[in-house]
Amino acid sequence: RAALRCRYLLCEIVSEDPRCRQCIDERAVGAAAKDAVARTHGDYGLACCSISFTVKYLNAYTGIVLLRCRKDFYRLLWSALPFVTYLENRNQRYSCFFNTLHVGGTIRTCQKFLVQYNRKQLLLLLHNCTSEGKQLLHSYILKGALLHMDFVLCCMMHVFHFS
Amino acid sequence: MSNAREKKRAKKMRNQPASVTLSSDCGPCPSGIQHHNGGSRSFQTPKQDLHPDSSQEFQQQRHQHQSPGPSYRKEQYFSKGQGRGRGGWRGGRQNVSQEMPKYITASTFAQARAAEINAMLKAVTQKSSNSLVFQTLPRHMRRRAMSHNIKRLPRRLREIARKEAEKAVHQKKEHSKNKCRKARRRHVNLVVEFNRRQKKNIWLETHIWHAKRFHMVKKWGYCLGDRPTTKSYRACYRAMTKHCLLQDLSYYCCLELNGKEEELLKVLARMCSIDTGPTFAAVPCLSGRLQGSLVLYRADRYPEDLLGPITFIWKPKDGSGITSETRQLWIWTHPSLKQDILTELKTVFQCSEPVETCSPEPIVTLLQEEKQTDVAMIVGKKRKREDNEGEKAVPVKKIIGDGTRVPLESYCWTSQTTGVVISDLTMEILRYRLIGPLSHCVLTEALKTASIQTEMADAETELNNWWVENCKNSEKVSLHQRQEAIFELLQGINSPSEIAAGTILGLTVGDPRVNLPKKSSKAMPNPEKYQGKEDLHRSWSCAQWKPLSNHTDDPDNEKVRQLLLEGVPVECAHSFIWDQTICKNVTENKIPEQDLNHMRGELLVPGSQLDLGPCESKIPILLVQQPGKVAGEDRPGWGSGWDIYLPKGWGMAFWIPFIYRGARVGGLQEGLKHSEYKRTPHIPNDFPDCPAGIQFAKELENVLLEKFKRRPPAKRANYVKLGTLAPFLCPWGQLTRDWEVRNKAQEESVVTSSADSKSGATERQVPCEPKPGLTIEDSQGDIMEEMAKIQNLCKEDGAATSSGFFVLRNRKLLKQLSARCRPTCGKGQRVRPASKLGQKEMTEDALLSIFKCYPRVLVWVSLSLLRKGSPELHAMICIPTQEDFLQLNKDQLFCGPQEPKHSDIFKHKILKLKERKKKKNNGNALESGASDALEAKAVEEPKELILGLWPDPLPDVTSHCSRILLGFVTQGDFSLAAGCGEALGFVNLTGLLHMLSSQPTDKKGLVLLRTPASLQYRFARLNIEV
Repeated sequence: RAALRCRYLLCEIVSEDPRCRQCIDERAVGAAAKDAVARTHGDYGLACCSISFTVKYLNAYTGIVLLRCRKDFYRLLWSALPFVTYLENRNQRYSCFFNTLHVGGTIRTCQKFLVQYNRKQLLLLLHNCTSEGKQLLHSYILKGALLHMDFVLCCMMHVFHFS
Repeated sequence: MSNAREKKRAKKMRNQPASVTLSSDCGPCPSGIQHHNGGSRSFQTPKQDLHPDSSQEFQQQRHQHQSPGPSYRKEQYFSKGQGRGRGGWRGGRQNVSQEMPKYITASTFAQARAAEINAMLKAVTQKSSNSLVFQTLPRHMRRRAMSHNIKRLPRRLREIARKEAEKAVHQKKEHSKNKCRKARRRHVNLVVEFNRRQKKNIWLETHIWHAKRFHMVKKWGYCLGDRPTTKSYRACYRAMTKHCLLQDLSYYCCLELNGKEEELLKVLARMCSIDTGPTFAAVPCLSGRLQGSLVLYRADRYPEDLLGPITFIWKPKDGSGITSETRQLWIWTHPSLKQDILTELKTVFQCSEPVETCSPEPIVTLLQEEKQTDVAMIVGKKRKREDNEGEKAVPVKKIIGDGTRVPLESYCWTSQTTGVVISDLTMEILRYRLIGPLSHCVLTEALKTASIQTEMADAETELNNWWVENCKNSEKVSLHQRQEAIFELLQGINSPSEIAAGTILGLTVGDPRVNLPKKSSKAMPNPEKYQGKEDLHRSWSCAQWKPLSNHTDDPDNEKVRQLLLEGVPVECAHSFIWDQTICKNVTENKIPEQDLNHMRGELLVPGSQLDLGPCESKIPILLVQQPGKVAGEDRPGWGSGWDIYLPKGWGMAFWIPFIYRGARVGGLQEGLKHSEYKRTPHIPNDFPDCPAGIQFAKELENVLLEKFKRRPPAKRANYVKLGTLAPFLCPWGQLTRDWEVRNKAQEESVVTSSADSKSGATERQVPCEPKPGLTIEDSQGDIMEEMAKIQNLCKEDGAATSSGFFVLRNRKLLKQLSARCRPTCGKGQRVRPASKLGQKEMTEDALLSIFKCYPRVLVWVSLSLLRKGSPELHAMICIPTQEDFLQLNKDQLFCGPQEPKHSDIFKHKILKLKERKKKKNNGNALESGASDALEAKAVEEPKELILGLWPDPLPDVTSHCSRILLGFVTQGDFSLAAGCGEALGFVNLTGLLHMLSSQPTDKKGLVLLRTPASLQYRFARLNIEV
């Protein structure tokens, strides 16, 4: 019994409106993606993509979404994602778009990528701020000591407070 | 099942991040929530309330985004920050959902990212599977001994592996190794350790030898070798049939009775019956010429309350003519039977007073004295060092004999009235068994009779002083020479089976270690010495075990023939092993192996024969012929051999020389196979009516049941569906009871209808009567007597024994039965002599009437399969129907009928019970009347049902299957000796007679065998061997 291969699409939901975050939940994201596939690839595409399609992980605060799809058809889904223009939840509709960050073969690789990506984001953020805590924080992030989140956050609070 | 799966999944997912959604309350809430961490928590709480039970939900919440611990700490930190007056950010945070000021976005953004990083890192770095790290590696990256050496792992995994290894070390029980190996292996410490270990279970003297080569089991208070670790099933069989198989039977217990002959015989006669064979009073046994064997019963309780089978040896009389001298009797029993027999003997002889003089206490003190002298003599370097270390270093002595004995307890009892002394000689006398046609060759090569010695070797030691005393008496010297001559003659015989069963030969031999060959070789007979050359190439297969050809004029051959005809004379059975003081002397004055080797090393010509001269120990031994297969027609004398009895302490000294002469060693399993091929009942497996047998059956059932339960229900035989009521235990009691009921029912129905047919039968008998003549009348008379006896017994016992059953051991009745079981006129066979036929018909009515009055009797039978199949333990013996015979007649290759599949009526019940249990567990909160009732029902269920087994009250065992059940198999296997499947077992006598009466004459004694885990019946021929 050969294992059925899957692909995992790691996407970021980018929205102008912060209220959009409210409607980021699994059902809404899934429905939006499927809707886009149906529009772009028709019934056949929808059916292909629906096989084992799920939202594996989702974080409303960072807007990160992890979608699973069969390896044979992930291109259909991938090509349809740019056509998602809004998310709808509880009769509220907020415009947004999907930014595909990574396509991975396992959840694990996606998670590793996400760690790297988030680190980069934080570093970018740090470049913009100037304070005495910056150097300290910078060094910690570079060392990968992010596991000590309490301490990092403590430093960050300093940073943000002073900036 | 699903619960377990859920748990497993939850464990696997415990490190995986769950999705994080914005709480719905968060948005509209204007000011209440501080930051999103808190928000998510407040959101979680209602969820928790909604599904309090679902564990998965709970798990998800626990691992949501951030684990509760850190988030709590974060909060704490934040509150601290507030306390320090840095709450400015908080105000901004309130507006997050509405206006999103720029500078605040940064903070939430960072926080969210950081939290996510945290969660992801946790998911990536921490393993969540149940397997160890090196087990999760792909196959091509695995290396040998990874679990042992973490440096074989990829570097990234080493840290985790190290932690795991530490954990495993903690789990492992730390055994105390306070001494280094060298110290532990030092001889003194080794002996201490060995002595400690044999306190609980007795070790045989060959224990260390066995432990290195055998699977050891703890049984009956001993450590015994079960089977060799090498692959040797067939090799042991070959040794049994062609050469020699050696067994250490020292665990058999010897009980010694000392007393006046009449007293002993009078009392012992109550414990056995002449019906079962020769008793203690049999003339050849009583004279001490032959060893006897019989079954003991509780006093005056025959034929019930079996104690067990024994063998016994009378010490031959010293001075002939004196009748009322004290005699010595050894009763050898299996250790599982010993306690019962000993207590019974003590009560029967009224021996209750422990005897101080005979108790082993003096031996103990003597040993201690010797220890002291020992120390004085060998204060070597090591001892000295120990003494320096601690003054109380106690010198240790190897335990010889029974290590579990309590020194203060007495093992010798006497009675005031009769003067009979009973002593328990367990482990005082060693016993080895040699099985096989060449066992006498091994004996004659390994042992050398002691040389005559008239001078003491050393004045101060008491080594051999008894022998010197003995050699001064010319009569005794001549006796020794006669024994020696007979021992020499043993080389001339073809196999031990040629000598009378149970022949005893006493002997005094020299130290067998002296003439140990340099290389191990196979002892072969020297046919030229005693036989003509034409016999040189005679093969030793069992088919040709026949008496010597007697056409040579060799005088030695003459002598051999005389020996075979007359047997060993009575006086040659005399041995000094009967004298305990001599035995003690011999045991204590054994030259240690070390000294012997030292002397060997000092020989002028290395490797030449060591001559100890007068220092050589003389050991009294006893050789007893063990009869092989006596019952039945094929392979007569198969598996015969010699038993050798030694004084204790000399075990290894005799063991190694035997092995150097090519004897192969077998364990308990080989012993079992030996008795199976010999078709003799094995102790204690095949004595279901004695307490040890019942105990054994119970233990076996537990073992088998445990083994059965260990397998998953889908992977084990469903015995309910197979129609096997009792796969692990033979329900003898119920079998006999069911047959009794069945018989009664049949009688009632038949009585009226078949009255005329019965009269017809009797009419038929009438013409037969005059033919056989006097002998028949005699036998008939015997039978009638027997019948009367048994009937009397029935009346006496009455209701007291209503639940009991016993095994028929009455020889006459068994012979009758045996004759009736054989097919009378087969195709090739001619009709047997008329007298025999008549006899049978005569006894039919008598037998039937006997067994009508006493139906709860089992008969020991042997079965050999006609065609395919190998019977197993607890296989069922069933009665074939008429159709089966018809089919067998039509098709000679017909294997046997099939049992239709039964339906499992308990499966439903078990499922229901399971559901109920689940409900009970789940719905503890719901207290309703219905659930109460259910619970009450569940309580009513007495025992847990096991899928695939019948619960305890069995239905009628005889008629449960399509063929009527007759009995069970207690031993069964493919017999290498017979070349087909063979089984031994018990059948119910009533059932057997019922079957025989209805079977056609040429198919008499055909039964069906079915193994517990199969639906296929197979034809087998039933034999009763007497």
